[in-house]
Amino acid sequence: MLNVQNIKNDFPIFKHYPELVYLDNAATSHKPQVVIDALVDFYARQNANVHRGVYELSELASQAYDLARQKVADFLVARSNKEIIFTKGTTEALNLIAQAYAQSNLSRGDEVLVADFEHHSNFLPWQAVCQKTGAVLKLLQSNELGLITDEELQSKLTTKTKIVALAHASNVLGTINDLKKIAKTVHQSGAVLVVDGAQAIPHLSVNVQDLDCDFYAFSGHKMLAPMGIGALYVKEEILSEMQPYQLGGGMIESVALQETIWANYPEKFEAGTPNVAGALALATAIDYLKQISLESIRKHEIKLSQYLLATLKSIGKVKLLGEAPAEMRTGLVSFMVEGIHAHDLSDYLAKNNLALRAGFHCAMPLHQSRQCGATLRASYYLYNTQEDLEILLANLAKAVSYYG
Amino acid sequence: MDEIYRSELMEIYKDPIFRGQIDNPSVSLEKHNQFCGDHLQLFLQIENKVIKDAKFSGEMCFVSLVGADLLLAEIVGKTTTQAKKIDQTKLLEIINLNLSTSRIACATLILKALHEALDKYARQSHG
Repeated sequence: MLNVQNIKNDFPIFKHYPELVYLDNAATSHKPQVVIDALVDFYARQNANVHRGVYELSELASQAYDLARQKVADFLVARSNKEIIFTKGTTEALNLIAQAYAQSNLSRGDEVLVADFEHHSNFLPWQAVCQKTGAVLKLLQSNELGLITDEELQSKLTTKTKIVALAHASNVLGTINDLKKIAKTVHQSGAVLVVDGAQAIPHLSVNVQDLDCDFYAFSGHKMLAPMGIGALYVKEEILSEMQPYQLGGGMIESVALQETIWANYPEKFEAGTPNVAGALALATAIDYLKQISLESIRKHEIKLSQYLLATLKSIGKVKLLGEAPAEMRTGLVSFMVEGIHAHDLSDYLAKNNLALRAGFHCAMPLHQSRQCGATLRASYYLYNTQEDLEILLANLAKAVSYYG
Repeated sequence: MDEIYRSELMEIYKDPIFRGQIDNPSVSLEKHNQFCGDHLQLFLQIENKVIKDAKFSGEMCFVSLVGADLLLAEIVGKTTTQAKKIDQTKLLEIINLNLSTSRIACATLILKALHEALDKYARQSHG
């Protein structure tokens, strides 16, 4: 059992906005004081550029940065910290794969598979790289629950399929895909599996070796860390063959007019001064989550999902987007109310201190394939309570009668 | 807090005067709001450069619906030149709601449709 009140006290946003009912965690989470302190501490006590100077401060900053990388590697259960590239977030990580891996590995006629529920950040980079290389982008259709079934995958995989890019969990449907099984099928057909982990990593214990995915991208800011830091895991045998796509300082061994030798990975994929403070704060967020226990957070979220799914149906005209049961969801429910526009509902809720996302959630292909307009999404995390959801439901009922 | 919009706007939302269609309009135009998927269709009946009638239809939120109804009330009886002079500032003044940036796009969807429809009409009449 989580002690939510104690947890809430760790998050200063709730001191500044005591009335806030924050149900937009799938967009970004709030930050505990320890994470904010980690940022401040770095700049106050350790600030120096990494891997440059021989003076003490630079050494300290470099050691702290290396330790942060190790913590991320441990968190994902990677074989080695060399498999972890720090990025700005999931979007940069996915673009890195598209440009540093896909562009040189795709040829005309090859195929790339993505799911219909992909966030635009796991759709547009593939669309662009396919246009450049002449490869073909194909869509995997999710079922009613929001899952990519083995049959669907088998039916779309061909000998031409080189890359399958899939969200571990959908940011709209919340459904968690069976990645282990998917990875097996993908590998059997000779393709690689790219995973957008942005929505899954705040909620699940991720073990990249067990899942056996080839790439795993995620952002820090949805898992209590600051914005602007994230990471990409790449299986070492693939990473060792990849060429850098951004060039600059910090990623070279030697530079001469005619020939340059890249530094070893992962540094060769981190051109320029990295976000060291962000990496340290991400490591702190990982420590914080581990201390609370991901398992307890998961149980707490499932309970909230169960409650919300059961009670939402009591409000007339509510239609769920995605029918998955609580155990198969990260910690969110998307829905619409017939006859009332999602933006009108969210305006009403916003005036009552409820923060929810309304719209297409950067997943227009999904809304097209399910033929629905804008939806409302309630997404919760370790500091949310059943009372938050009760407030949501009470205000939803009021909004329905207000507009109805 | 029970009222988020003024009651006269709520009345428009529940029973908009200008919602409907015009058979054989002088010009009609469809417009989409990419942000939320809303779409509306605008119909104009123009005679001797005067907007004799105007109607809208479509799937819309409160803000774009109210904006549409108020704008059409404003332009019926006016010349096309007068109607073209109505800009975003003027329309937001008429609606008189405290709108966030994202919802200004809702309110002004009809205005974009009107300007495009009038341009289309001008091309038709000259062509």
